[in-house]
Amino acid sequence: MKLLSYALVLTALTVHQLSAQRPITVTGVRSLTFGAVLPGLPTVVSRTNAANAGQFDVTGPKDSQAALTFTLPLVMTGPASATLPLLFAGSDAGYSQSQSIGSQVGFDPKQPFVITFSKNGRGSVFLGGTAQPIPTQRAGSYTATITLTVVSLP
Amino acid sequence: MYNASKLAFAALALVLTGVVSAHGQGVNGSITATAQVQAPITVTGTQNLSFGNVFPGAAKAVVYTDAANGGKFSVAGQASTPVTYSFTLPLNLTSGGNNLPIGSWLGYENTINSTSGGSAITPSAAPTGSTLSGSGALFFFVGATVTPPANQPAGSYTGTVTLTVSY
Repeated sequence: MKLLSYALVLTALTVHQLSAQRPITVTGVRSLTFGAVLPGLPTVVSRTNAANAGQFDVTGPKDSQAALTFTLPLVMTGPASATLPLLFAGSDAGYSQSQSIGSQVGFDPKQPFVITFSKNGRGSVFLGGTAQPIPTQRAGSYTATITLTVVSLP
Repeated sequence: MYNASKLAFAALALVLTGVVSAHGQGVNGSITATAQVQAPITVTGTQNLSFGNVFPGAAKAVVYTDAANGGKFSVAGQASTPVTYSFTLPLNLTSGGNNLPIGSWLGYENTINSTSGGSAITPSAAPTGSTLSGSGALFFFVGATVTPPANQPAGSYTGTVTLTVSY
């Protein structure tokens, strides 16, 4: 009977602890926007650009760690399947525990990156990049999808 | 009691399994990357620079205002956008192995197809700034002088004048 009581208490404690933790979530908040791009002229968007940098908000158990992995497109696709090359440099991504674009830790978006959630279980990931149109780039709208995967670490 | 204990342990096991399985599972979110590519630049040579008949020992000039013989380029691109242009100019026109010196280049740029209301330029390889018109147009007119020596061999002489324009 005693054993049963301990097990129930332990179970209750564990359930209580789990219910108090934030689940891991990833929300795409803002697109990476290059705006008007001229053929032959590379256009750079910094990860600290508050209007144009891409942004994801992430949540997870407070003070816990997680691995971030981007799925990055090589090109954006435009009219008649024309493609516009995209480049991501070694410090084009940034993580902010405080969710402030002005307070980021830069990292390489092409490599997995380990983050620690804040005490409130929140964080933001920012992304910049470079669009590299060729001189004869076809005019029009180009888009691509960028995916961020967050995996909880033990 | 035995069954109750088993139930409790099973519940605990389920919870713990849940904790373990939460690790290593990925959660995804996506955003888009977007760009609006503007009109590319096109450069068209619309009229050759033609000196016609040239006589040995007599220099001959064609001015950029010569509507029939002056060289002309038209440029199209994104409206009201700054551009940089440069010329690649020959030092000689050639005919087989013979050279006919050409120089004293003069030119004119304008946002309309006219040699008035724009700006005189000196065509050269140095990158120079300009701006496309509100309709995305720019026009260049060029003239030059050929200076055949007295012993210039007879023949048909040609050369290539290239205008390069970029944003």
